[in-house]
Amino acid sequence: MSLVNITGLHKHYGPNHVLKGVDLTVRQGDVVTLIGRSGSGKSTLLRTINGLESFDQGSITLAGQTIGSRDAKALQQLRLQVGMVFQQFNLFPHLTVGENIMMSPRVVKGESPHILREEAHALLAKVGLADKFDAWPDQLSGGQQQRVAIARALAMKPQVLLCDEITSALDPELVNEVLAVVRQLAQEGMTLIMVTHEMRFARDVSNHVVFMHQGKIHEAGHPADLFSRPQTPELQNFVSAVM
Amino acid sequence: MSYQFDFLAVAREAPELAAGLARTVELTAVACIAGLLIGIVGAVCRAWQLRPFNTLFAVYVEMFRNTPFLVQLFFLFFGLPTLGIDIAPDSAAMLAMVINLGAYAVEIIRSGIEATPKGQIEAAQALALKRWQIFLHVVLRPALLRVWPAMTSQVVIVMLGSAVCAQISTEELSYAASLIQSRNFRAFETYFVTAGLYLALALLLRQTLLRGGGRLLKRGRP
Repeated sequence: MSLVNITGLHKHYGPNHVLKGVDLTVRQGDVVTLIGRSGSGKSTLLRTINGLESFDQGSITLAGQTIGSRDAKALQQLRLQVGMVFQQFNLFPHLTVGENIMMSPRVVKGESPHILREEAHALLAKVGLADKFDAWPDQLSGGQQQRVAIARALAMKPQVLLCDEITSALDPELVNEVLAVVRQLAQEGMTLIMVTHEMRFARDVSNHVVFMHQGKIHEAGHPADLFSRPQTPELQNFVSAVM
Repeated sequence: MSYQFDFLAVAREAPELAAGLARTVELTAVACIAGLLIGIVGAVCRAWQLRPFNTLFAVYVEMFRNTPFLVQLFFLFFGLPTLGIDIAPDSAAMLAMVINLGAYAVEIIRSGIEATPKGQIEAAQALALKRWQIFLHVVLRPALLRVWPAMTSQVVIVMLGSAVCAQISTEELSYAASLIQSRNFRAFETYFVTAGLYLALALLLRQTLLRGGGRLLKRGRP
């Protein structure tokens, strides 16, 4: 069953036509990776899925509910279902690690602090940071901060998790600890849509790879086919440049 | 020079000075708290461009940051009774200080709000927080922390500026000083001691606000 359904999506930034009719279907449990050169529209596409970017034409359907381009209430509903992890972590510096995780379920859903505490501890254990509940974000390494950010997104129990270049701001030796967490989520059946430059990881973990080029989906398919037998010259160039 | 300094003449008036000092502290405390609240509300209206409040606050800010405090005070105390609005000296002084500090606080706090990194807002939006929830839980405390030194300076400026409230017979510190020197004719000693008291109060106020406010806003964060 399709969980996310994107049809005919167009977006302009002033004179720039950055998404030129994108269609994408993501099923429950899919791990979809968006790849492409910078400026190809992959991050923009990802960010339209939870309304951080508006769009001009087309529609996004999530679990059967269609979201218009500018509908604040529908957007709120959408964001309850879609979690996001960012390149720059974006932890709240004035809250402890535990508070970062508990804040939005408490504020948005009004869940009880007692239950939230337990859940936050469980989430931290899951990302390998069980002892960091009372730490402050700026006491953590980049890799640790990003794992907290993943736990924070999961605390809202999203149906889909968007990952926007989540290892691009990390020192090389910290990349794997974050990817290991994502890999585990994928194995547990979490639906993931990622933009990443880690091609090996994309090939290992995803079951669908989308190559974006000039605002369109240029080529898409199973990673084994896509990476070993790219059909278009653009993807051939891209693959030989990055792998 | 044959003048004999007599600071004891001032010391004898200590209760008068203490009462004036207490009133100055009281006025400053009220101005600080109310001014901060006005600043937060006004800054949100300005930063979010909430019509018509953003325009109203813009006019308010420009009016009170570009006119002398003494004139604002006189307008409230001597001007408004013409319209049938009578205000007691203490209330007029308090009101003038609150309004004056509030105008500066709006701009100071607004700059703190607008310096919020975009990523913070996006992270909160992605977590399904509504606009006012984002302000309350994500934006406000870091914004206040960012501008707290500037806010502290402004409170100290307003505290020192409260000296002119003696002109409408608010019985604060400089009023006490003027009263004492008119009784003992010891202007030098009286104003020397009074200046020392203002200096001590200003330094103490600055330290207290910086440390206390910082601690409150940081909550144990290193």
